[in-house]
Amino acid sequence: MIALKDKSSGTILGSVTIDDQLVEFHEGETIYQIAERSRRNIPTLCYDDRLEAFGACRVCVVEVEGIRNPVASCTTLASDGMVIRTKTDTIEKYRKTLLEMVASENRDLDINELAGYASQELGTLLDLYQARNGRFKGKQSGHSNQDDKNPFILRDYDNCISCYRCVRVCAEQEGDHAINVMNRGFETQITTEFGNDLRDSQCTFCGQCVQTCPTGALTDKKAIRAKDLDGEVHKTRSVCPYCGVGCAVDILTKGERVVGIQPAMDGPANEGALCIKGQYAFDFVHHPDRLTKPLIRQPDGSFREAEWEEALQAAADGFKKVRQKHGRHSVYGIASGRAPHEAAYTMQKFMRAGFGTNYIDNCSRS
Amino acid sequence: MTDQDIFDRWKGEDAPLLPILQAFHDRDDHISEDAIRSISTSLKIPVAELFATVTFYHHFSRELPGKSAPRVCTGNVCSMNGGKELLDSLKQEGATAMPCAGRCDDMIPVIRGDQVYVGKTAAQLINRTSPLPAPNPGKAEECVFRHIREEGRATIDGYRKSGGYEALENTIKSSSDELINTITDSKLAGRGGAGFPTGLKWKAVRDAPGFPKSIVCNADEGEPGCFKDRAIMDHDPYALIEGMILAAYATGASRGFIYLRYEYPETEAILQKAIDESRDAGLLGKKILGLEDFNFNLQIRRGAGAYICGEEGSLLNSLEGKHPFPRNKPPFPVTHGFENLPTVVNNVETLASVANIVRKGSAWYRSLGINEHAGTKVISLSGDIRHPGNYEVPFGFPLQELLHEWGGGANNGRNIQAVTMAGLSGGFLAGNDLDVTLDEACIRSKGSFLGAGGIIVFDDSRDMVSVAHEAMQFFAHESCGKCFPCRIGTQRLSERLNGNNGQLSLENWQEEIDDIAAVMKATSACGLGMAAPHITDSLQRYFPEKIEAHLNRSL
Repeated sequence: MIALKDKSSGTILGSVTIDDQLVEFHEGETIYQIAERSRRNIPTLCYDDRLEAFGACRVCVVEVEGIRNPVASCTTLASDGMVIRTKTDTIEKYRKTLLEMVASENRDLDINELAGYASQELGTLLDLYQARNGRFKGKQSGHSNQDDKNPFILRDYDNCISCYRCVRVCAEQEGDHAINVMNRGFETQITTEFGNDLRDSQCTFCGQCVQTCPTGALTDKKAIRAKDLDGEVHKTRSVCPYCGVGCAVDILTKGERVVGIQPAMDGPANEGALCIKGQYAFDFVHHPDRLTKPLIRQPDGSFREAEWEEALQAAADGFKKVRQKHGRHSVYGIASGRAPHEAAYTMQKFMRAGFGTNYIDNCSRS
Repeated sequence: MTDQDIFDRWKGEDAPLLPILQAFHDRDDHISEDAIRSISTSLKIPVAELFATVTFYHHFSRELPGKSAPRVCTGNVCSMNGGKELLDSLKQEGATAMPCAGRCDDMIPVIRGDQVYVGKTAAQLINRTSPLPAPNPGKAEECVFRHIREEGRATIDGYRKSGGYEALENTIKSSSDELINTITDSKLAGRGGAGFPTGLKWKAVRDAPGFPKSIVCNADEGEPGCFKDRAIMDHDPYALIEGMILAAYATGASRGFIYLRYEYPETEAILQKAIDESRDAGLLGKKILGLEDFNFNLQIRRGAGAYICGEEGSLLNSLEGKHPFPRNKPPFPVTHGFENLPTVVNNVETLASVANIVRKGSAWYRSLGINEHAGTKVISLSGDIRHPGNYEVPFGFPLQELLHEWGGGANNGRNIQAVTMAGLSGGFLAGNDLDVTLDEACIRSKGSFLGAGGIIVFDDSRDMVSVAHEAMQFFAHESCGKCFPCRIGTQRLSERLNGNNGQLSLENWQEEIDDIAAVMKATSACGLGMAAPHITDSLQRYFPEKIEAHLNRSL
């Protein structure tokens, strides 16, 4: 039996049998969650573990003894004594058919990985189930809106499968409710209010819809610019420098070039969320105007390049001079919102002990 | 009327979104962007979400001419009788097509504003009362239609003349247990098609924790070829209301809603009058019949064109002003219904049977069925049949007898080629399988189901592939779009019945149809997607040679 490691986080309701393995479970756990925990890979398309289970794609269906039809494992709560099978021939056949049906409604099935964090999900499943075989030909769903004039998000709904992950992440995670749908059935179209461009909606361009899209229908416009650049995409885990929250990011590079940013789904501070700056504002890295050395202002107003040692000394001399001339309260320290706690602490200590003033603040307060 | 007047009218009321949308639709003849923004602010619903919900319902117009422009029925039965031609002739008035509007016994319905006109051509269109069910041709004893043909039945005095509200007056002298036991003993079960035992449902709601509880009447009769609930509500509205009050007494519910389909505007007025008169007579509202703790507030909420809202989860979401997707089950409405509180959702016919069952006893009701079957079922019979209409049959009644003795056989001396079951949801029965009896066990043994009791007849001149195509188009039009097997499956099946099938060989055609059907039946999230493949299954079972001809034609 797979016993629960953490027995404290909820009432243990009992155990279920998944593919002949006995697994203990907590109150409120779904079949899918228990299956994941016991390392069964149940395929999904509409599932994002940060969001409320939706039950749309039905790719995650499993057989439960005593229930006539397969159930969606993502929305079905486990109950004691359930006997579950996640991979019977019948279930696998349903999944393959479903994937073939999904493939039939999209224009492109090969999506560049720069499109977004989850962009390979559909393609990977299609390969796993050998479902790229052109069955079920017919009308394609969704109408592309590639003309949406925003610099960040490419909206190519010809590749949309109406899984609602973008709609749900916008509402549940970001609280913006900028996107939803219009119409119903096969005519379902993900869109903003009144079908407007994103700029005219409540969108804050956080990019979370892009990163959860499993088909590349929503694509990171900035990252995809580098699709023809030579080289493999390399991911480096880092922390976003824009504020003190400390969102974990994966910096995407090709060779020496930063080509995009993806949120780290397992980042403890952000759990896959980013804001417009963390997500899209990375162009400064390779910008020709970017300062690479300290500059010291000359008496004639112009700047000259200097080394850090000299620059810091110049700054220190300047501060000292002001303090001598105008007193200790003539200096005022403002900590950057980008600085973490420790740096903010150091700043106030520096101001209080060094200059002898209590005039301190933080930019986030303004 | 200003926006604020509308909001003030509905302020503090339960389930306010639909009536507010209807009020704007009525005032402006459409629902404008400004209206959506204004309602969004007032009800604190995000604009994009409200926009999504408004666009979900096909009867809400978003441009002019809107509500006042004619909507012409092009359902299966009407399209066999000139519905599409009528639509074409009204095109210059901005006419649009609508799916079956529940008037298959009195064609062709055209809705203009809040009036339903009927007629085969534009010149013949008149506004008239919907047909009363004909006297029972087989002299079988009835329950639901027992008093419906009596003079003045749709007035409170007329209703009382033949014992109306006696059931309620007697019931409140004893406990809710007794009422629930009577209903349980009668074996009354959901007549909307699901067949869940009514007594059991009421008991579950009574015993479920949480207040206030609700009684929701599902009057969203959207199944093509079904028009029985319309007949009950138009001609015997008090029977429904008394049934709902009894349900409230049984369960302790204090809120009631009749979720009425958009296509029955005049029915809304009839029901509203009956509700008002019942309230004035102390039968609704606070302290019903002087009982201290017996409060039941009954309101009508009108839908806006969405078959899926006949599915109880969608219906509840629609009432609550949410996007009308079906809900994931469990939990069920008996514990988590309207506003996540215990809720009875019952069909019109079920509720309208209750008062007569209480008056005449459970044994009487059970005895109405044939052999081991208990009770009756109203069947809406339409299509190529001499006497279309609503017939209340005993469960276990032979289909052939209904078709030939009661319905008078096929029109114009032709032969009956096939009939549908459960409106369209049960697919077709044909050949020897027409020798069934009308009860779930028998019909299910033929791979179909009785459902809400709509039977559409097709004579031997009809092209069954094209009939099946129209049926599948209906399901594709009405699929909510949430679950993949139904959203894509109904579309692909419809395309394959239309010849737009990528020029498949018969073998590949069958393989594709069967694979899609299997996945839809097994994995769809609600009954729509599970039932739609009955059409293709039964088409293949009874008419394989017609499919071959269809494929040869479309190659």
